[in-house]
Amino acid sequence: METQFDADVIVVGSGALGANAAYELARQGKSVIILEAGVRIPRWKIVENYRNSSKKQNYNAPYPNEPWAHTSYDVDYIDNTGSFDFRPGMLKLVGGTTWHWAAAAWRYIPHDMKLRSTYGVGRDWPIDYDVLEPWYGRAEVALGVAGTGDDDQSGQGGAPFPPRSTPYPLPPEGKTYMFQRLQSRLRELGYNFIHEPNARTTAPYDGRPACAGNNNCMPVCPIGAMYSGDVHVDHAVRAGAELRTDTTAYRLEKGEAGRIAAVHYRRSSGEDVRLTARYFVIACHGLETPKLLLLSEVANSSDQVGRNLMDHSGIGLQFVADEPVWMGRGQIQQGGIFNWRDGPFRARHAAIKHAPSNYVPNTSVTQRLLKEGIMGAELEARIRDEAARWVDISTVFEMLPHPTNRVTPNYDRQDALGIPMLRVHYEIDDYVKAARPVAMNDFRNFVRGMGGAVVDDDTGWQNRDHLMGSVIMGADPADSVVDGDCRTYDNPNLFLATTGVIPASGVINPTLTGVALAIRLADTIAREV
Amino acid sequence: MLRRLALLFALIAATGAAEAQTAPDPALVERGEYVARAGDCAACHTMPVPGAAPFAGGYAIPSPMGDIVSTNITPSKTHGIGNYSLEDFARAVRRGVLPDGTRLYPAMPYPAFSGIADDDIAALYAYFMLGVEPVDAAPAAATRLPFPFDVRALMIGWNVLFGGTGFAPAPGASPEVIRGQYLVQTLGHCGTCHSPRNLLMGEETGSRYLSGGSVGGWIAPNITSDPVAGIGGWTGSEIVAFLRDGYAPGKGVAGGPMAEAVEHSLRHLSDGDLGAIAAYLKTVTAVGDPGATRPAFGWTEARPVAVTAYETGNGPTQADLADASTLDGAILYNGACATCHGIDGAGTPDGTFPSLTASTTVGSDDPANLVLTISQGIDRKGAGGHAFMQAFGAELSDAQIAAIASYVTSRFGNPAVTVDEAAVSALRAGGPTPWIVPAAPWLVAIAGGAILLVIVGLLSLLFFRRRRHGHGFA
Repeated sequence: METQFDADVIVVGSGALGANAAYELARQGKSVIILEAGVRIPRWKIVENYRNSSKKQNYNAPYPNEPWAHTSYDVDYIDNTGSFDFRPGMLKLVGGTTWHWAAAAWRYIPHDMKLRSTYGVGRDWPIDYDVLEPWYGRAEVALGVAGTGDDDQSGQGGAPFPPRSTPYPLPPEGKTYMFQRLQSRLRELGYNFIHEPNARTTAPYDGRPACAGNNNCMPVCPIGAMYSGDVHVDHAVRAGAELRTDTTAYRLEKGEAGRIAAVHYRRSSGEDVRLTARYFVIACHGLETPKLLLLSEVANSSDQVGRNLMDHSGIGLQFVADEPVWMGRGQIQQGGIFNWRDGPFRARHAAIKHAPSNYVPNTSVTQRLLKEGIMGAELEARIRDEAARWVDISTVFEMLPHPTNRVTPNYDRQDALGIPMLRVHYEIDDYVKAARPVAMNDFRNFVRGMGGAVVDDDTGWQNRDHLMGSVIMGADPADSVVDGDCRTYDNPNLFLATTGVIPASGVINPTLTGVALAIRLADTIAREV
Repeated sequence: MLRRLALLFALIAATGAAEAQTAPDPALVERGEYVARAGDCAACHTMPVPGAAPFAGGYAIPSPMGDIVSTNITPSKTHGIGNYSLEDFARAVRRGVLPDGTRLYPAMPYPAFSGIADDDIAALYAYFMLGVEPVDAAPAAATRLPFPFDVRALMIGWNVLFGGTGFAPAPGASPEVIRGQYLVQTLGHCGTCHSPRNLLMGEETGSRYLSGGSVGGWIAPNITSDPVAGIGGWTGSEIVAFLRDGYAPGKGVAGGPMAEAVEHSLRHLSDGDLGAIAAYLKTVTAVGDPGATRPAFGWTEARPVAVTAYETGNGPTQADLADASTLDGAILYNGACATCHGIDGAGTPDGTFPSLTASTTVGSDDPANLVLTISQGIDRKGAGGHAFMQAFGAELSDAQIAAIASYVTSRFGNPAVTVDEAAVSALRAGGPTPWIVPAAPWLVAIAGGAILLVIVGLLSLLFFRRRRHGHGFA
């Protein structure tokens, strides 16, 4: 039995979830060490990388992809054995992947968390919305979420929903012109637009300036108005936590009575270090977290570690509307159409969300015209015309958890540290496929409602980088990795701060839920340490 | 405040003891609140954190001698000033002497406040007694200065020299100018920062009045009427806009302690009072600077830069994407500053992101405020909204801040001004230290030695005289 520990709590991973857990623990007086596989890079440097990059549409290009700290976007890093090419853009640096998200900060609605008992499909959360609600509020304060409490976020056009005990900390963004035009014209066809709550500031907040509409949430907010995990890494360090970069955790060491005794990490220099702590929080996102558990042979008596992998696998639609909507003006996304977020249909097919993207479309427009052989003055004229009228809808579906959709260590291929890379087997399920015709019918309505001409309505299945299910939460230790507090059933001092615990995917970006769970697990640990 | 007043009225009504002469006068309390705004009492006596109890003290005011912690001036009878009579209150505010005889340090600007008019003192007293919620708790910290500054009795002598001489209206001035003079000299205590200090840290009130000072490394510029070194080139409405919003297009923005003055005090003043301040400042005797050839806001042209200077291409390795060690000002400006201020430094037309040309901060011969703005950012609520620039001190090294500051002055300000790493480090540490701080212990030793010498001398004399007497007797 260890009597001296290197820290009360070691948090592996410095993304938004790990950083918020670390900050809450440090703030409550616990000694905390944060391990981060990547390094710290200041914002101005990432901006410089982006400005100098020739790959403007590759949101991962401004971030380092080192042989000792691969991003998951690296073409060699994930060996896909299923029919779907699972390739999310998870970054490795201080602050994690929230450096390039679009900052949507939705809450789940109560039915999302009781899918099995309400609709007879998928799985239930072991806790319900009311239990998590206070931590949703704290997560919104941590991230500085701007939003309106006036919408029925279930998409049914009813009273404000879900219930909130606290207001959004910041007022909502003004609606972009494109959002207003789509909302105005598609509302006539019965589509309910919901204004997206998001972690972009609408006023100075927590050392961050107000969003100025740089339209650059991905690959990097140039001014730090959009939340990224480094905010709470810095808060944690100021509260006394120790940050160690270039430290890839590769093994959790088992101790007595099922407890985790130590974590082993390796640096790019090859140096190996063993650290002990009373508690461990693994916050390495939905792929690396199960990999670390499987490499360590812990937390897996259920054989569910790495299984039930879900993304909001999606499809897209591009068309040219009959009027200029000026895509690219203002924030990069502001919400969307939620008619298919909830209802009895979920017994038969997946929930659906349609979100208009609002990036500057000139590159996409130009690429298409060049492929058609358009040149010279006509090219310029058509870029000007079509870029003004371009509409891009990003659609996501609710996946169900399947044990066969899984991530495992790839023992056949190792990184520069000698640590196995990833292997993923992922198939789009029938629940999602049954919803595709419904979404395609919506696509036809959108094009008709905007008087448009289709550019592409058959994109094939796309990654949405929302990793869930891979260390699944549940009430039964026989089929679940963690309980409702994100504590592993097998190892009482091991907690998982990752959206990988989420057992029912819904259609909303899971980051806010992950942060709420991370703050909640920190509270649990703080009571026990 | 209203709740407390209502309670008082209710109490008076309920007891039937409504003697007219003791009933609080809401108008007087309201006027006292305005006087407290003009005096910016909250700047020091309210903690600058959200939700802080007003006037409960605890704010550590950095001074060259060490932190001076503001006190609880709520009407608490146990921890505040609830037991003060009007006379006690007036003596503390105007002379820096508490009822028990304790001498305040002049972080409390009683030399300026010595001129507060009797009716304003009465209004202030009514406000602090009736308009402020009592807080029955002491501030978390207390003032602990090193020897000899911990000897508060030293202030008795200092006060004789610098303790303030009351308010004397300028002869022949208009009522507006006299009102402005009162607001600047007395309530606003502008000279506390904007006048230079003498060797004993006393404020210059004579010929160098308002000719510039410094606080915590920030330059409080010359605000005399000199058209080059001062603000003689500002119109009255520009001065008013600056005081009210912290921003005057074509002139500059308020940062650091001036931003706090705008937020806590100046934005709350009436247009008439702001106009009076401007009118008075225009009359303040010009103090020139022989070395200055154009006003700080007079650098209005951005000098061009080639795109190849700041977009040099990404390096060949992944490690290059993480290498943030460059000291190239053009590259740093492009990554950290240009998103808001523009590669041409023009900012936005509405001033949300201010221009870097025609900027007092950028064009000054002294780059201190430019360096500290980069390092600490701007966080200022003015009458027109909330101006904010994030602090870059955590993600840029001192050498990188120096590189950016030099690049900015070379392109948008006075190109003769350059900044090096050591200067940035010194500014971030709070600026130059007055000579008296390191010297004071020696002074005390020397003074003690001098007293000893005098005593020895007197004894010697006595002995000598006795001898002489003795000799005489002999």
